[in-house]
Amino acid sequence: MSNEADEFNLSGDRGFLDFRESIYHVVFLACAAISVLTTIGIILSLAGPAFGIFQSGFFQDVSLGEFLLTTDFSPKISPVQFGVLPLVFGTLLVTVGAAAIALPFGLLTAIYLSEYAGERRRAVLKPMLEVLAGVPTVVYGYFALVYVTPFLDAIPGIDLGTFNALSAALVMGIMIIPMVSSISEDAMSAVPDSLRNASYGLGSTKFDVSTGVVVPAAASGIASSFILAISRAVGETMIVVVAAGTTDRFPGGPGEVLTAFFKSTQTMTSAMVQLGTSDLAGGTTAYRALFAIGLVLFVLTLGLNLLSDVLVRRYEEDYD
Amino acid sequence: MATETDPQTGPGDATGETRTPFGEVSRLSGIVFEYLTLAASMFGILSLGILLSYVFWDAFGLETADPVWYAVLVGTVGLPLVGQALYARRNPVAGEVALELGSTLLGGVLAGLALVVVLEVIAGSEVWFAYFLTTVLPLGSLYVYGQRNEATWVGLAALGVLIVGPAIGTAALDPLTTVAGLFGGPGIYLLSMVLPAALLCRYLVGEFLELGNGDYAAGATLALAVVGIPVVDTVGVARSVWLLFLVALVMPFGIVVAKTLAVPERRVGFVAPAVIIVGIGLLAVLPETVGVAGPSPWFDWQYVTSNPSRFADQAGLYPAIIGSVFMIVAVAILTLIVGVGTAVYLEEYAPSSGIAASVVRLIRINISNLAGVPSVVYGLLGLAVFANTLRLGFGTVVTAAFTLSLLILPIVIISSREAIRSVPDSLRDASYGMGATRWQTVRNVVMPRAIPGILTGTILALGRAIGETAPLIMIGVATSIYSTPSGLFDKISAMPMQIFVWASFPGEEFQYGVLAAGVVTLLVVLLTMNSIAILLRNKFERSEI
Amino acid sequence: MSKNENTITTEESTDADPKTTDEKLISTEVTTGTETGRTAAGGRTIIEARNVDVYYDDLRALDDVSLQIPEGQVTAMIGPSGCGKSTFLRCINRMNDLVDAARVEGDLLLKNKNVYDDDVDPVALRRRVGMVFQEPNPFPKSIYDNVAYGRRIQGLDGDMDEAVEQALRRAALWDEVKDQLDKSGLDLSGGQQQRLCIARAIAVDPEVVLMDEPASALDPIATSKIEDLIDELAEEYTVVIVTHNMQQAARISDKTAVFLTGGELIEFGDTEKIFENPEHQRVEDYITGKFG
Repeated sequence: MSNEADEFNLSGDRGFLDFRESIYHVVFLACAAISVLTTIGIILSLAGPAFGIFQSGFFQDVSLGEFLLTTDFSPKISPVQFGVLPLVFGTLLVTVGAAAIALPFGLLTAIYLSEYAGERRRAVLKPMLEVLAGVPTVVYGYFALVYVTPFLDAIPGIDLGTFNALSAALVMGIMIIPMVSSISEDAMSAVPDSLRNASYGLGSTKFDVSTGVVVPAAASGIASSFILAISRAVGETMIVVVAAGTTDRFPGGPGEVLTAFFKSTQTMTSAMVQLGTSDLAGGTTAYRALFAIGLVLFVLTLGLNLLSDVLVRRYEEDYD
Repeated sequence: MATETDPQTGPGDATGETRTPFGEVSRLSGIVFEYLTLAASMFGILSLGILLSYVFWDAFGLETADPVWYAVLVGTVGLPLVGQALYARRNPVAGEVALELGSTLLGGVLAGLALVVVLEVIAGSEVWFAYFLTTVLPLGSLYVYGQRNEATWVGLAALGVLIVGPAIGTAALDPLTTVAGLFGGPGIYLLSMVLPAALLCRYLVGEFLELGNGDYAAGATLALAVVGIPVVDTVGVARSVWLLFLVALVMPFGIVVAKTLAVPERRVGFVAPAVIIVGIGLLAVLPETVGVAGPSPWFDWQYVTSNPSRFADQAGLYPAIIGSVFMIVAVAILTLIVGVGTAVYLEEYAPSSGIAASVVRLIRINISNLAGVPSVVYGLLGLAVFANTLRLGFGTVVTAAFTLSLLILPIVIISSREAIRSVPDSLRDASYGMGATRWQTVRNVVMPRAIPGILTGTILALGRAIGETAPLIMIGVATSIYSTPSGLFDKISAMPMQIFVWASFPGEEFQYGVLAAGVVTLLVVLLTMNSIAILLRNKFERSEI
Repeated sequence: MSKNENTITTEESTDADPKTTDEKLISTEVTTGTETGRTAAGGRTIIEARNVDVYYDDLRALDDVSLQIPEGQVTAMIGPSGCGKSTFLRCINRMNDLVDAARVEGDLLLKNKNVYDDDVDPVALRRRVGMVFQEPNPFPKSIYDNVAYGRRIQGLDGDMDEAVEQALRRAALWDEVKDQLDKSGLDLSGGQQQRLCIARAIAVDPEVVLMDEPASALDPIATSKIEDLIDELAEEYTVVIVTHNMQQAARISDKTAVFLTGGELIEFGDTEKIFENPEHQRVEDYITGKFG
């Protein structure tokens, strides 16, 4: 019997085959490692010039307080000033404008797709909505500058500058509608039919069921879609660069907030492009400011994305 | 099925409880709400539609055209398109065939363009020949050998060739290009492109699709190549360009046509495309022959073949088109390899328990977060790492390709993972149960089924890359380039970059002319890529059943 | 299940069963519960489980299972769903390794070699132990390529055409498909697909063929063909089959193991004895339909 055990070999030494297995394993692992390296690369390349990990950094030239709390941003005209607040304000302004379009329209679209539209209509509408997100952003910027601004300017009572935050926000809102609608629709479709039927059984109308049962049940998914869309708006670059102008603007009072929509307004992203087109070789404070602003943008969008992730996971847990 | 007419008949048709007399008020609010949601769904689509019509109107200079010209346009292009769309609802085959023909045609043009740009404009036929001999030919032979024989070493040998081949090609570039010079450009393409294509054609027609005798098909391809040469000579098209387009456009289109003709019920799909092609020809000829005023387009041959200029009349997009194509080819190669590799690791290799599993989960979360990082931040990464630290140069092809690859990599990985996950586990079980190793299972069972889905996702992601501007600005892509790149370390321009630059030019001619034409060029390229992706997805979904 | 099925197979089982049991020299003593036993005639046991436990995370799927499976016979595992019979089957060729959460304790010997020893490679093991699954799962390749798959990946030499034909003949499929070997395996009917999967498994000449409810997705006629086939396969291979169908176990198997809830092996022995005169009351209740 022990003889037989010796003969019966299951050790599976396949020589060349094993070698090949391990080669492929290592190749695939290396591929997966690239995405980790990308994250490390992003963090290092942003934090490096900002905090001066490798050479002198932005925050050695400009104090953190000055960067975060002062309200003037003029990197080129001396005396140079690097207050990030007006840029944050510009970003907020455009984001709020875009969200005002995208959130309601996206949510209603999701309700239509999930609750009302038939199979065929959905099959037509969904790819068309995806097209909205697929058009390059520089094209949207062009639309805003060349078509939307003159159109809005022609409306009596509205006096727009050539560059203004309003048309940029409007066009950006249209662009991010599909982000809101597709994730919200997924969340609504995940609501089990038994919930709907329970409500129908109590004599509710479809309207009651949609607004009273489905939307609340899908709330965390909807919130997640809102946050993701806002994150996208915060990081959007080319629309504001082409259409919103480069004036750093910080409101002195509440009245100036609304009027800022009609004028040239600089956001964090458009400030980065402005810095990026002027000096790239490194070594100057303006160059490092680019990375400091990039870091703020990265942290902001990362926070929003993580929050959205958490919310999505919550609804997936609810119904899976 | 019943819900399809829903919006016309009002809400609640399935349950019917809103039809009770007591439900009047709630019924009204229900109807209002339903139409509100429908209107909201249409808002974005309609807005974009209006904006796009403006752009096309401007780009093609349609305001100068005569009403007669419009009538012909509506009659020969508009009506057939609408008719086709309506007919396709009843007979999906017609729509399928039209999509297949259309995307083969447009895809062939794009692929031909890419070949001409990469081989003729950038590399040059002699350099191509060197790499063909050292890399492409061995790889192709290995592939064919691996298909016909049972050999375990083929895949690894291919991996080796992929690494060693280009190195040898670079080292022996001088003697090889001298040899190549003896053949001349058309000779090289005849050997390296048309001949393999004819063999492929022979296999496709004879064995794979079983349309007929493969030898005849291969012979026809070769004959067409030779017969076409005097023809293109008289027209004034370069012989090399003809041969490349033969391979990329004429041959695939011919096969698709033959495949469609072979099935009687698919032939109906030819009607609309034929009418439209005749119509477009008519539209082009009308102004000159009959004297009907045609449009005065900005988007024309001069536009796509000229350098940028301060004068709107002379401005063109040529270097930007070449730059974009070059960049996209590089990005496609990089992301396919790395993206699919990552997806395979995460789905097939990654451990799912223990400490290693939590590391893998971190990688997954990391990838989904990378997908949400603003593109301008990727630009900063490219600037700091590739341009400044690795000194690959500001605005060069490599820097741009690496940066954009990292940008779309998360999207490619996510869609590839979905495609791999859609392969049923029962097939994996069957393979592992036979004593297959991981790689054997991945190679023989998982990949064949996942590849269409992977390609769909990758093409859509490449569409995103081709329209990206912000990262290019950050890595210092030049605002005006008047020459085409001839190597990986040359500076390039790109289509969206040129649009960005022109957007700051004052003057109506730029804003409503040159720019509009640029936008149209970019959108046409995107549309073509997307329809190829849709075609692939349709085929994929059908084979799933 | 259906009447149809019963009428087809009763006559066959009456003349097949005694013959096989007579032919083979049964010397395995009945092992029950937790006690381990050794067979008197050593060489005839091909698979031996000694106190095997399986856990999925903290859930115990198999509880201290010990049994000996004789070579060249059909051994059936029966029991209600979730009783651990499939888990045990997947332990034998270590398919459980593909589930990272699964943990196996105890010894499982194949020809006296513990398959959970450190020096055992599951891939090499699976090349000796073929498996047929519940749902027919042919690859979306041609019939020929399906059968050739195992030989190709294992790099077996020899005439491939010959081997494919042999396997298809032994799986009683050759006559039906010999003119259409290029056709996709998915174009076959469910029963043909399952026989294709059996052909695929035996094309590499394994020592043991494991079958996980191979007929549960098939109609009665296809089922009876599979049962005939299993009967023939037992002449050359050791077959271990999991089934939830007690009549099927009674018809085709020489030995039967009864698993009841909690992954416990209640009784193992000659099929005839199990069905006619089981030792345990619970087994009798299960077999007569009072429980499970």
